[in-house]
Amino acid sequence: MEPKMKLDPVQEAMLRGEAGEGVAMAMKTLVSYGEAFGAARLLPIKSAHLSGTFGALTYKAYYLILERLVKAGAKVKVKTTCNPTSGHDLNFLNRHLTFSRQEELDGRLAALGVTPNYSCVCYEGANVPEKGDVLAWAESSAVQFANSAIGARTNRNSILTDICSAITGYTPEFGYLLDENRRARLLVKLDVKKMDPPALGFLLGQRVVNQVPVIEHYPFSRIELKNMGGAMAAAGAVALFHVEGLTPEAPDLKTVCDGEPEKTITITQADLDGLRANNITPDLVVFGCPQMTYEEAKATLELFGGKRSRVPAWFCMIPADRERFIRDGLADKAAAAGITVQKLCPLAALTVQLKRKTVLTPSGKLYYYLQGANYGNAEDCLAACGV
Amino acid sequence: MPGQAEGPAMVTRMPVNFTAAVSNIKNAIPGRKGVINDRLHDLYGRDMKGTVMVFPACIGSTFTGMVLLELMRGGYAPAALVVQAADPLLVSGAVLAEVWFKAGVPVVEYPADDLFEAVKDGDRVSVDGATGEIRIG
Repeated sequence: MEPKMKLDPVQEAMLRGEAGEGVAMAMKTLVSYGEAFGAARLLPIKSAHLSGTFGALTYKAYYLILERLVKAGAKVKVKTTCNPTSGHDLNFLNRHLTFSRQEELDGRLAALGVTPNYSCVCYEGANVPEKGDVLAWAESSAVQFANSAIGARTNRNSILTDICSAITGYTPEFGYLLDENRRARLLVKLDVKKMDPPALGFLLGQRVVNQVPVIEHYPFSRIELKNMGGAMAAAGAVALFHVEGLTPEAPDLKTVCDGEPEKTITITQADLDGLRANNITPDLVVFGCPQMTYEEAKATLELFGGKRSRVPAWFCMIPADRERFIRDGLADKAAAAGITVQKLCPLAALTVQLKRKTVLTPSGKLYYYLQGANYGNAEDCLAACGV
Repeated sequence: MPGQAEGPAMVTRMPVNFTAAVSNIKNAIPGRKGVINDRLHDLYGRDMKGTVMVFPACIGSTFTGMVLLELMRGGYAPAALVVQAADPLLVSGAVLAEVWFKAGVPVVEYPADDLFEAVKDGDRVSVDGATGEIRIG
């Protein structure tokens, strides 16, 4: 094929098959993908992060492609982390039907050389980029965080294009890798007394859809940025947002907007409160989508005040942080409070159920995707737990 | 994305989250793989198969490329996708289906707002992915 993109000698050799059939097909995918967006060239990446860690029965095409890559001896060229496990061992249905190909998938990822961190929050420890790094990450919430909170550069890569980048070490130069696409075009003003970051994220995802907003200054913590961004990327297609005076590319409005914003919207307290469910008696309260860090889980546990929840609750944590939580005896404290500390992805684990559970969650992302999920802010969730 | 196709238009002004649309137990029912089961979406319950889907943008999960790949490979996908803003996830699905299984579906980007004035739900539409031409009726 005659690519319109300019490839250097190394990339051309890969395309010709000199690094194996797997790499050649991956390169062909990246070139077609990049050309659809007018990318002039491919850039080397610092790291990759893969979304596709759920061994779901129905993703046949994925396994076919992975098998071809593994058979061709393909290996990742850069540090490549991956998303959480599916909770396939949670129950019979998950293990034998829904996620019955989990072990096969895990084996294939290991064969490719993927780092088994198994967390969507790869940027807290396992895979930490720096400002300006070019990455090929998938997982909408991770892409959000890398772009917005860290100032690294990645597009919203899909499952499989993420692997193609990981095994070639390249990503096409378009989208958020270019300065002009990173400026804020929309200003978000806040008229709120009580901030609710995941709700704000959800609403901005819906209203902003796929543009780059800048939120007027608010001292969000790193964890709040994570939870807000996760919701924004699920309810919309926002890959990058800025917070005036907080995030690395937005020291002030003029700089981040490169002049004036094109549009201004205002989010009010009523908007935020409008998401909160009323009078819900949940079967399960789920915290941790994106997954919680050690500090986050510890702080949330403290809010239970040593009391036992009247409803089962989950803390979905980064596996490495969960190990530490267990070692420090906090998982035992959590269990005494009626909380199970999980390492799975709650969305995957709860999607297919024999009897639909009513879930209450302070996660804007989980609320969007999960059937039967209701949104409540932190206080609502603690109240539902009766603590 | 190149290719020619035609079919009845399925139009929505709401961005589509393909992962949310088909990652539901109801989609495992044979023949129902292409039915939209995103409960928050106005196309809830409609079958995508063989339609020319017209929508503003694709939102949500990075699983989307694989979801579309699976739909295209299995023959449950729309016949063509007409979108106001083509994004990486949407295009990845079509590219992967074409490169790995020769099953890609044409994708046409039509940035202007008059898209929804011109095409109505149910219209017979044909598209040419290479030229970007959309013909109605």
